Amino acid sequence: MVQINFSLKEVNCKVVYYGPGLSGKTTNLEVVHQKAPSASVGDLTSIATEGDRTLFFDFLPLDLGQVAGMKTKFQIYTVPGQVYYNSTRKLVVQGSDGVVFVADSKRGKMDENIESLGNLIENLKEYGMDISTTPVVLQYNKRDLPEIYTLEELNESLNKWGFPYFEAVARDGVGVFPTLKHLAGMVLESLNRQHGGGGSVAIRKPTRPAAVSASAQSVGATQTAVATAPRPQQQSTAVAATATAPPPPSRAPAPMAPAASAPPRVTSAPAVSQPQSASRASAQSSVARVASNESAGSEQKKGKGLLIVALVVLLGAAVAGAHFAGLLENLLP
Amino acid sequence: MVFYQDDVDAINNVLNEFLKLSDSKCNILIDKEGHMVTKVGSTGDIDLQSVSALVAGSYAATREMARLLGEDEFSVLFHQGKNDSIQLTLVGERTILATVFDERTTIGMVRLYATEASEKLAKIFEVILTRPPGDNPELENYSQNAKGALDFFFVEE
Repeated sequence: MVQINFSLKEVNCKVVYYGPGLSGKTTNLEVVHQKAPSASVGDLTSIATEGDRTLFFDFLPLDLGQVAGMKTKFQIYTVPGQVYYNSTRKLVVQGSDGVVFVADSKRGKMDENIESLGNLIENLKEYGMDISTTPVVLQYNKRDLPEIYTLEELNESLNKWGFPYFEAVARDGVGVFPTLKHLAGMVLESLNRQHGGGGSVAIRKPTRPAAVSASAQSVGATQTAVATAPRPQQQSTAVAATATAPPPPSRAPAPMAPAASAPPRVTSAPAVSQPQSASRASAQSSVARVASNESAGSEQKKGKGLLIVALVVLLGAAVAGAHFAGLLENLLP
Repeated sequence: MVFYQDDVDAINNVLNEFLKLSDSKCNILIDKEGHMVTKVGSTGDIDLQSVSALVAGSYAATREMARLLGEDEFSVLFHQGKNDSIQLTLVGERTILATVFDERTTIGMVRLYATEASEKLAKIFEVILTRPPGDNPELENYSQNAKGALDFFFVEE
């Protein structure tokens, strides 16, 4: 994906060299590194095996210079061509703005070319890209070998989309620059279509200034970004709402604690404390229930005891009364 | 992705605050394609383009490892050196914050404040990524203007 950075005044594009193993992808990059003006290319970085086969990718930054006041840069990558490195190949092709497919012209290599092209289509699909709408240039390499496919054969097998194609002998530097130059032009045209549509100035950057200003304030920015264009009310309100949302009341006081990290703490605190306090309360109430039951039982027992004592006293009193009445009968004449 | 001056100002504010709090040497924000978005602090003579490409590659490889292990993503990566170390923190879906630091601070401090900074930056990126595309008159005849530069650059001897 092209990155347009108006702050750095830069346009950055990613280009990937794809193709079967030993078709000449790294050689292409080495030639660009050697032939391009030294001030315009950075170091060639290779993540390769000890046997000098590409393991992850080769990388070459290339600075095209100023175009319409923007420094235009290409980051050029190669993928490892060997079949079993597909997982790393897929990672490298992610976000690419254009692809050079380097095919091996040597007879007997067509199956490998077709397999690699099919693999490119699959890997682009993984990132939602369609090869037919992606800037692609084919390079038929090793044209100096004696036993090679004709251009018709190569186009028939590999180029059903009618992509531009170039013959090359990368080892000798032949055809390397024309291939990359053509692809770079296609990538910049694609960029122009996507981002440079000549609309009216009135609708330019419709939401940017206000939206980012709001975010900037929310993160404690000291610099004030001025909104210079009208903005849709709904969207800016939504952003402002998220940006200025007050911290939850029970947020734990922590130095430099981020607003966004507060919610987990807040949500986790009641979640943990609630069950704890609920169980504690229920435990207390059950203890109270047991205590009240015990006291009720003891009162009942007390009552029974008193009743028995009272009955015994009454019985004693009755016996004593009867005895006393007997005595009185014997004494009286 | 398109970054305007206001976007980068807002990002730089967060990065500068993080730089101060964490006492790190420099912070570089890189998109997943390996393009640098902005930087703060002392980058010295670091080849930022190559570092950006390698950071993106390293992150992509780690993400694939995470997937194979059943994780969505490893959100933090750390490479320890003898003098300088580097921590990579995922910011939202599409960017990576690379923090270079030395013995003046600790990995704990960097990690603590990087989490904060990452969350603040993610909010800014959410706005950048979801806003409708604007017209950029600067790029209106861009490819036409680029033809001269391409002719000049790719000269066959």
